[in-house]
Amino acid sequence: MSDVPAETRPGRSGVLGLGAGLVAPATSLVVIALMFLGCDLLIPGFVSLGNVMRIAELAGFLGIVAIGETLVILTGGIDLSIAWVVTGAGCVFTAVSGGATSMLVPALAAALAVGFVAGLANGLGIARLGISPIVMTLGMNNIMQGLTLLYTNGTPTGGTPPVIKTLATGYAGPVPVLVLAWAALAAVVIVALRLGRGGRKLLGVGENPLVSRLSGIRNERVITAAYLCSGLAAALTGVLYAGFSGASFLGMGDQFVLPAIAAVVLGGTSIFGGSGGYGGTIVGAFFLTVLTTILAVVNLSAGVRDIVYGLVIVAALLLNRLSMRAAQ
Amino acid sequence: MRLVEAIRRSEATGPTAMFLVLLAVVIALKGGRYSLFDAQNLAANVLPLALVGLGQYFVILVRGIDLSLGPVMSVSSCLAAVLFPYGAVPAIAAAIAGGVAAGIGNGLLVAWLDLSPVIVTLATMSVWQGVSLVVLATPGGTIPAGLQMALTAATVVVPVPILLLIATALFGAWVMSTRLGLHLRAIGGDAGAAEASGVRVRRQRFAAYALAGTLAALGGLYSAIATSAGSPIIGDSYILPSIAAVVLGGVPLIGGRGSPVGVVMGALTLNIIGSLLYFANLSDFYQSLINGVILIAVVAAAALRSWVWRAVPA
Repeated sequence: MSDVPAETRPGRSGVLGLGAGLVAPATSLVVIALMFLGCDLLIPGFVSLGNVMRIAELAGFLGIVAIGETLVILTGGIDLSIAWVVTGAGCVFTAVSGGATSMLVPALAAALAVGFVAGLANGLGIARLGISPIVMTLGMNNIMQGLTLLYTNGTPTGGTPPVIKTLATGYAGPVPVLVLAWAALAAVVIVALRLGRGGRKLLGVGENPLVSRLSGIRNERVITAAYLCSGLAAALTGVLYAGFSGASFLGMGDQFVLPAIAAVVLGGTSIFGGSGGYGGTIVGAFFLTVLTTILAVVNLSAGVRDIVYGLVIVAALLLNRLSMRAAQ
Repeated sequence: MRLVEAIRRSEATGPTAMFLVLLAVVIALKGGRYSLFDAQNLAANVLPLALVGLGQYFVILVRGIDLSLGPVMSVSSCLAAVLFPYGAVPAIAAAIAGGVAAGIGNGLLVAWLDLSPVIVTLATMSVWQGVSLVVLATPGGTIPAGLQMALTAATVVVPVPILLLIATALFGAWVMSTRLGLHLRAIGGDAGAAEASGVRVRRQRFAAYALAGTLAALGGLYSAIATSAGSPIIGDSYILPSIAAVVLGGVPLIGGRGSPVGVVMGALTLNIIGSLLYFANLSDFYQSLINGVILIAVVAAAALRSWVWRAVPA
C-alpha cells in the first residue's frame, strides 16, 4: 500500500528474527531461551517446566494460525479474514460433531471445508481479479461473520470429541500434545519453505512478481495456494481452540488477528513479501505469548492490557525497522 | 450545457446516481411517502460513517489505510460521555483531541518512520481499543439531552443533521480544493513524481493521517451525542464500512483519484442498503455479510472493468 522505495525495503533481518530468512531453527530456540531467561530475571520463578510448557501450548494456537499468515505475507499479501474463519470453522466443527467421536471425521472435514472455501475465494479474488488483499480479506471476514451468525443463529452449539480435546489440552509426559503437533507442522513448513519447490516459488513471487512470472512461474496459482493454506490453518486453529475451550463461541477468532500478523512481521518476514520464513514467526509467537502471559500475571485491567500490547508491538516494529536500517 | 458537462465529468456523479436510485427504491417501498423527518433520520444515522469515511478517504488517497479509525471513534465517544458532566467544552475538546492525537501517532509511524500502514494501524487499533475501555468500560455515560435534541432534531427550515452532512461534504470538497488536497492527489498518483516536483510527501502524508483521526473523532463524538451514550465498542462496526464507503464513493484503492462528495454518497448508499434489509425483513445478521459482499463486489467490478478496457484496444 505504501510507496516505500525499493532501497529502503527491509532486508533479511529483524530484531527477533535476527535474519529470519537465514535463521536456523536452532537460532530460534536460542532466542526463545534468552527471552525466557530475561523474564525470569524480571519475574523470579517465571521459568519452570510447567509454565514454559503452558506458554508453549498457548503459543501453539497462535503459531498454527500464523503458518498461513506467514505464507500469505511472504507473497506480499495479508490475511485479515482469519478472525471469522477461525470462529466459523470452530462453530461448524462443534455443531456437526456434537461432541461425538463418531462424527469426528465429518466434522473435521466440514470445518476444514470452511477454511478451504474462504481461503480459495480470497486467493482467487486477489490473484485472478487483482483485488487488494486488505479489502478482499476484510470483506471476507465480514462475510464469514455474517455466515457464522446465520449458521449458529447467534448461539454456537455442540461440543468437541475427546480426541480433539486431548489434542488441544492433553500432555505426553511433560509436553503438551498440541506443542508436539505444532512442532511437526512447523518442521513441515520450514522444510517446505527452504527446500521445496513451492517454497522457492512463494519467495520468488513475493520478492519480484515480474521476474517470477518471466521465469515461468504461474504467480496466480502460487498466491491462491498461499491464501488457501491460510484458510486451512485458520480452520484448524478454530477446531483446536474449540477443543481447548471445550466449546466454540462467537468472536473466538478475534484474539488471533493482530498477534498472528505481528508474530510474522516481528519474526523478520518482510511485509512487502519475498524474504523471511516460519522460524522467525515461531519466535514472534513465543514473544507475543510471553507478553500476554506477563500482562495477565501483573494483573492489569483489560483496557490497559490492550494499550500495552499495542504499544509493545509498535515499539518492536520500530526496533525491527531500526535494526534493518542499521544492517544496510 | 456547461452544467451537463460538469456533471458528466464529476467523479461524484456515479456514486450520487447510485444513492438516488436506491433512495427511490426505499421511497417506493414506503408507498411514496418520504418526509423531511425520514431524511433527517437518514442524515443523523449516516453522519458518523460519512465523517469517518471522509477520514479514510484522505488516507486511501495517499495509498494508505487506517484500520484504527473505528476504535478512535470509540475513544472520542467515551471521552465525550465521561466528560460531559464537567461541561460541553471540555468534553468536546477532549473528544476531538483524542482523535487528533491518534491521527498524529499513526501519521508519525507511517509517514515519518516508514512503517507499513496496515500493521501500524492494527497495532494502534489495539491501543485505542484499550484507551476507550479504560475511559469507559461499558456503554453509558451522560450526554445532555439538550445537545442531543439540538444536533439531531429539526430546525425551522432544514434539519440540523442534514446541514451537518452537507457541511461534511463541503469540508471534504474544500480540503481537496486547497494545496493540501492537490498534493494528496499527487502523492497517491505517483509519490516519486510528487516528491520530485516539490511536494513534501512525508509532511502531507502525515497530514492525511492526522486529518483522518480528527474526522473519526468527530464521527465518534456525533454518534455519542445522537445516541446519548458513549460506547467503547461503537467504532468496531465502522472499520469495514469506512473503507466500503470510500470504495462505493468511486475511489480506487490505489489512491490519487475520487471525490469527497462521492465518499459521502458512498456512506449514504451503504446506509440505505441497511434500510433495504429492514424492508426485506432480513435479520441483522445479514448486515455484516452484505457489507462484505458489497465491498468485494464493487472492487471486483472495477477490476473487471479495467480488464475489459485492457482487452479492447483503444
